[in-house]
Amino acid sequence: MENDIILAIVVITALAFDFTNGFHDTANSVATSISTRALAPRTAVTLAAILNFAGAFISLEVAATIASGIVDAAIITPTVIFAGLIGAIFWNLLTWYFGLPSSSSHALIGGVVGAAFIASGANAVKGAGLLEKVIVPALVAPIIAFVAAGGAILITYRMVGRLRPGPVSRGYRIGQIASLSLLSLSHGTNDAQKTMGIIALALVTQGTLAPGDPPPTWVIVAAASAIALGTYSGGWRIIRTMGSRIIKMDPAQGFSAQTGGAAVILTAAHLGFPLSTTHSITGAVLGAGAAKRLSAVRWGLAGNIFLAWVLTLPCAALVGALTYGVTRIFGDGALGPVIVSVALVTLMAVVFGKRLKRGPALTTAVEA
Amino acid sequence: MIGAVDTGALYELAWAAPLAVLVVTIAWGLVIRGTTSALEARRDGRTVPAGLHALVAIAGAALFTAALVFGLIIMTTK
Repeated sequence: MENDIILAIVVITALAFDFTNGFHDTANSVATSISTRALAPRTAVTLAAILNFAGAFISLEVAATIASGIVDAAIITPTVIFAGLIGAIFWNLLTWYFGLPSSSSHALIGGVVGAAFIASGANAVKGAGLLEKVIVPALVAPIIAFVAAGGAILITYRMVGRLRPGPVSRGYRIGQIASLSLLSLSHGTNDAQKTMGIIALALVTQGTLAPGDPPPTWVIVAAASAIALGTYSGGWRIIRTMGSRIIKMDPAQGFSAQTGGAAVILTAAHLGFPLSTTHSITGAVLGAGAAKRLSAVRWGLAGNIFLAWVLTLPCAALVGALTYGVTRIFGDGALGPVIVSVALVTLMAVVFGKRLKRGPALTTAVEA
Repeated sequence: MIGAVDTGALYELAWAAPLAVLVVTIAWGLVIRGTTSALEARRDGRTVPAGLHALVAIAGAALFTAALVFGLIIMTTK
């Protein structure tokens, strides 16, 4: 009975993380399209949500063994997963509040690393894995995307700079719809699988699912629905940052940034070197702006974004560790996760309830 | 610890990703340039240049579509 309660809590928390993941990462695919008026805001998030949902069914290879190669797999328990998810959700919500794009995957890894550290000590965390799967990709993704998108916009201006601006802008807006679609599909494929992997792992640890078996259909549908709903809700604060606060972009820049980011992500996936979508798109937006004019980029804001990236792992780890520590105060059973879940839901209801009373500015800022 | 990083894939990524971006950018640039120029030439009654520009646009569209399909293949086979 206790195990069933813990399993249910982990599944619900994983779906909540999936929702925040979609919600937080909507900006990656739609921000530039909304900013350049390639699509209306609601149309853009609807298209992104549908493609995220579809993407979750494209590849069901649930290789997303949570924090694989970074944390000793033997020490991962449902409580460690739960604490890691709480760390990731916390960081996703905090960065959304400040309108800063950051990697949901790195937040999840950070949360699990923190919980594993408290559960089994420093030996449970593999430094080489952290370097390979978090630190190096975090450095590489924005640099390559910056250079690629910067080069792309220079070539674009050379190719179409002398043509009449009206048809050119219309053309690049159409191109953005294609790149938005590709990015959204790719996001659904990658990120919904993470949640499927987490739930599948929890089912395996409870003996409900045999190791290596594909996840049940309800897990796939639930993960796809959660990420699609999150995407549809739209993290408008981050959309505004990515779409218009870093640089004011024209349709050609929007196309270069979006296509640059998508090409970098897919090339990296092809080479087996997965990069963060958020880091790649942000790097590409900066590159598309800086190549036109260095002063066009708000470097102070870019600095805040970089700071958020640096803090993602330690902050999510800290919250994951704290959550694990608090749940353990109440023993091995379901009581700890239940108390932590109730406390967090109450806290979020209070915080968001206050915001809602102040008005709908949070969710409609871009649409206005 | 540095040995943990797949430097081969990293180097390949460093040139392959910008190359991919370059191809897609040029492809879509050809579509826009070809279409715009073809329409202008047709409006001026220059049918042969209009046809040539249209061919450029079609070649760009084919390249762009190929890149999109390749992206889809990567997603489904990884």
